[in-house]
Amino acid sequence: MAAAEYVLGVQPLDERQQAARRVDTEPDFARLVDVWEVRLAPLAAGYPEIEAPFAVKQAIDRRLSRNDRKRRAGFWSSLVLWRGLAGMAVLGFALALAVPYVLENRSQTPPVRMVASLAAPGTDVQYLAMFDAQKAELGLSHVSGEREANRDFELWMIEPNKAPVSMGVIPVGSTAHMTLDQPTLAKLAGGAVLAITLEPPGGSPTGDPTGPVVASGDLRQI
Amino acid sequence: MTPQDITKLIVRTSLKDRSAFDQLYRATNAKLFGVCLRVLNDRAEAEEALQEVFVKIWTKADRFAISDLSPISWLVAVARNHAIDRIRARRKPTVDIDTALDVADPTPGPEQQAVSAGEGDRVYRCLDELEEDRAAAVRGAYLKGESYAELAERHGVPLNTMRTWLRRSLIKLRECLER
Repeated sequence: MAAAEYVLGVQPLDERQQAARRVDTEPDFARLVDVWEVRLAPLAAGYPEIEAPFAVKQAIDRRLSRNDRKRRAGFWSSLVLWRGLAGMAVLGFALALAVPYVLENRSQTPPVRMVASLAAPGTDVQYLAMFDAQKAELGLSHVSGEREANRDFELWMIEPNKAPVSMGVIPVGSTAHMTLDQPTLAKLAGGAVLAITLEPPGGSPTGDPTGPVVASGDLRQI
Repeated sequence: MTPQDITKLIVRTSLKDRSAFDQLYRATNAKLFGVCLRVLNDRAEAEEALQEVFVKIWTKADRFAISDLSPISWLVAVARNHAIDRIRARRKPTVDIDTALDVADPTPGPEQQAVSAGEGDRVYRCLDELEEDRAAAVRGAYLKGESYAELAERHGVPLNTMRTWLRRSLIKLRECLER
């Protein structure tokens, strides 16, 4: 009954907080709460629709950009960053070896190489993505974090103001290489964001992301 | 906007797409503000709560994927839970019920009930099977976020009686909905 009472909202504060904690820690309880939310949801038709004053949206925008700045500040002290930098150092070494080759080829096509550290708060999943326009290839290095049993990681490309486009399920293993077609290549070179979501085996059944984002990041020129 | 459109906006919001978030806000702020106002009964507090609700939606949008709720119901649940947490944390309940709302009492009248008939049909029919005052208590708790204590006072019964009433009503409701 605790799940039903929590959804109805009648409990005093302490019981409510206890129930909210259980939602976060006990998947079975969370499912029961969800079932009750579904059962009672039609009652919400009784709520009126009243447009909020414009100032509310402005205040939300201010809060979001403040959070964003805080996140960036926290970024410098984060473990993920140092792991990422360690990865970059390895990459830098690899690049140093590759430089003569790159310089040699400069005359034909401008070499566009970019890297992205894909990570997200609240997960330990991290990948390093290396984009090579010349080879029309995206390399992925698995840095940390395992996929859940019976779930796959799917890679998405997101252009500003557009729906995410799937780049396919990421094969299990420490590295993966994806060959890019010309349109995808152009979009990535133009600054699309990469994100990884947790999906059913074989990838999202709908063509749109259905699971939580476990890592994301944007490509930066090196 | 169709539920599928709203689903897409929530998913894109979970990928930190700010323009999707802005569209989601435009499409749903009126409903969610209605929820906050109805529960909190205070305009300034409801505006504050709505800000917090949308910040939550921005940070927790990925949780939508693991819920069986329709997209708008999921958003309403986020707003409702937040508003109820706020009102529970508040020491003294606001007395001037409905003055903060310059709209008519939005408890579903026949018109709205007709609109919500369809998927909501069953829960209303099941509520009708309960005794009238108990159905009113369930509806009041859901829409206004009333606590056991407030309901007990309004219905003039001891707190534990109100708990028993509501628990039994919820069990009956579940039985009816599962029939």
